[in-house]
Amino acid sequence: MSRPADDAWDVAPVALLRLDGDGTILDANRVLVEWVGRDPQGLRLSDLLSVGGRIYWETHLSPLLHMQGRVDEVAVELRGPDGRVPVLLSAAVHAAADGTRCVDVALSRATERSRYERELLAARAAADRSADQLRALQAATASLSRGVGTDGVARALVETAVTHLGAAVATVWLAAEDGTLVRRATSSGDRAPEGTDVPDEPWAPAPRRADDAPRVPAQPVEEHLAGVVVVALGAPDAPAGTLVLSPRDEPFDVGVLTAVGQQAGLALERARMFDQKASVAHELQHALLTTHLPPDDRFSVTTEYRPGVQALEVGGDWYDAFLVDDDVLAVAVGDVVGRGLHAATAMGQLRSAVRAVAGPDVGPAALLSRLDRFVTQTGAGFMATLAYAEVDLVTGHVRYACAGHLPPLRFRGDGTHEFLWEGRSTPLGLGVDREEAVAVLDPHDVLVLYTDGLVERRDRPLPDGLHALATAGRALGDGSVSDLVTGLLVRAGDVRDDVCVLVASWTPRSS
Amino acid sequence: MSVLARNNVVLSGAPGAPAMVFAHGFGCDQSMWRFVAPAFEATHRVVLFDHVGAGGSDLGAYDPQRYGSLDGYADDVVEVLDALGLGPAVFVGHSVSAMIGVLAAARRPELFDRLVLVGPSPRYVDDDGYRGGFSAAEIDELLETMDDNYLGWSAFIAPVIMGNADRPELGEELTNSFCRTDPAIARRFARTTFLADNRADLAGVTTPALVLQCREDVIAPPEVGRYVHEHLAGSELVLLDAVGHCPNLSAPDQVVEAVTAYLARVPSR
Repeated sequence: MSRPADDAWDVAPVALLRLDGDGTILDANRVLVEWVGRDPQGLRLSDLLSVGGRIYWETHLSPLLHMQGRVDEVAVELRGPDGRVPVLLSAAVHAAADGTRCVDVALSRATERSRYERELLAARAAADRSADQLRALQAATASLSRGVGTDGVARALVETAVTHLGAAVATVWLAAEDGTLVRRATSSGDRAPEGTDVPDEPWAPAPRRADDAPRVPAQPVEEHLAGVVVVALGAPDAPAGTLVLSPRDEPFDVGVLTAVGQQAGLALERARMFDQKASVAHELQHALLTTHLPPDDRFSVTTEYRPGVQALEVGGDWYDAFLVDDDVLAVAVGDVVGRGLHAATAMGQLRSAVRAVAGPDVGPAALLSRLDRFVTQTGAGFMATLAYAEVDLVTGHVRYACAGHLPPLRFRGDGTHEFLWEGRSTPLGLGVDREEAVAVLDPHDVLVLYTDGLVERRDRPLPDGLHALATAGRALGDGSVSDLVTGLLVRAGDVRDDVCVLVASWTPRSS
Repeated sequence: MSVLARNNVVLSGAPGAPAMVFAHGFGCDQSMWRFVAPAFEATHRVVLFDHVGAGGSDLGAYDPQRYGSLDGYADDVVEVLDALGLGPAVFVGHSVSAMIGVLAAARRPELFDRLVLVGPSPRYVDDDGYRGGFSAAEIDELLETMDDNYLGWSAFIAPVIMGNADRPELGEELTNSFCRTDPAIARRFARTTFLADNRADLAGVTTPALVLQCREDVIAPPEVGRYVHEHLAGSELVLLDAVGHCPNLSAPDQVVEAVTAYLARVPSR
């Protein structure tokens, strides 16, 4: 292909160039000379481009020409005497007459097109931003809805702030009863770059002006130095607290934070009601479990109750200890099937029934039979399990019976132990013959009754749980029952049941 | 997803032969090596891959923090070599991948037999007594163009690429490859690449290295190649009679010849 006639070449409505195989300009038409304001011969095409275009030519376009011989409609900018000139570049490789490699390039002005494209890009950026905002909001809302209780919501809030809202550090401060703000949760801070730590203060909204001054409405999101923002949780006028954030790299989106603040206010309101209900439920349970024993130097009884992790629902576990007559101590630990108020009510009834039907001449087996009748008549506590024992405080004889319940555990003074596996029968309400058995305590022996929550876990068989209890229980002489329970539960994880434990020890009076 | 799938690792050449890894630079993908890599298939186990964010890599694996510095890319190279377990490899890195190879070789020398650095630059911005080829203002302009003015940079990230009538398979392959380049990732990669300063890392390399430098290259000028050679103990510098930043495409025969001669001349460790 030969160079076109001078006229056609120079009056073409586009800038035309011919490059050698290295990209050096061999020839250019008058249009190009006008656009770039100098004689381009001997320069390389990339010298005429803006820096972005130059790098793009070297890293993208030149490789493409080598690999496929042609590129079309690529937007670049020429550096002209009056600033940049947006152009569209098309280029094709061909062999010159002498067989060497040549590149023909045509550049057409793209000022209007580039303006139009900028508008399109701005619109796309706005759409992307909306989508990002929506995603962040959805993530925050979902995360808040999973938080249980006030502390759960506060934790969810700082986590979502770091993972979805672009915060380096996040802190939640909640209003205490006296109105002061108390820190309730802080992000782990692992991601926080040096020097972006949020100051250790609540950054409360600015104090209100005096009443006679015009009221300035509180802002839902206040911006402070270094990009730190304070988000009101709930109504800006009376927030439930504040979320204090320092930015990771980009400024925060005030619109998203405002919406998250409102969502968090609602979530905190719900959490507060939940906390209240949970507290009522646990007070009720505590009241049902109260045990009053006369002071007696022949025995000591210690109890421990731990609610399950899903804290709102009360469970059906109970313990009790009372004197059947002057010299006989009765101890009981039971478990009603199910959860919630229904189970708690049945538990209360059954616990009272045990006390009512127990008596000096009854004994464990007969007591279970009477409870069977009670369960059949009232329907309360069907299939409940119960471990019941009567300790003769003079002789140390223990009569005991287990209705479907785990066996009592006896520790001797020398550190050995024994599970009392006899006296077993079915859970309550099935109306079968009831068994009982006898064990004889030595002075200072300890008897442990417990519910399955202490030893049963999904990730191990029951015998392992019993073994763990027996091992941990050896320390009972030194530590408290509370420590024992804590030690056994520490590895139980998030999904655990209620736990009741009763520990009784016998110390006979020296004759 | 496995490391090999993440980086779209492609193996060819002689099984059991010494490994030779080709790493592409900023802008394209492993197809940059199409005129060079085949020349080594008879003597080497040839490993091609795409950096995360480029070509056929797993775009979902792109983590702005990990790839906010070249260290993240160097970690990927190490992970790929560990996953392949082919023994010490000849690492051929073009452009920014030359420095990625330097970082990786400083970190895990036992994975690298010899390095071939094609158009390396440890720093693109001029500095006190150092000429990188770009003024700070020019790089700022580039990054500004990319960040704020989408046009002028990434409008041509997805140019309309016509297939070559003679070699239609190339056109389609490249179109696919380029369409897969996410503009946001390309912008971040440019920022990571052109703001990097890895001059101090050269001293940490004990692997023998060949520096291949074009006689004219606006991205990595000859004095930069010389700088790399002078600061890389035990390295050799070969000047190619080629112009531009991609001799692997514009002068593949020279690249193949220089690398072959170097591998013959400098024994395997």
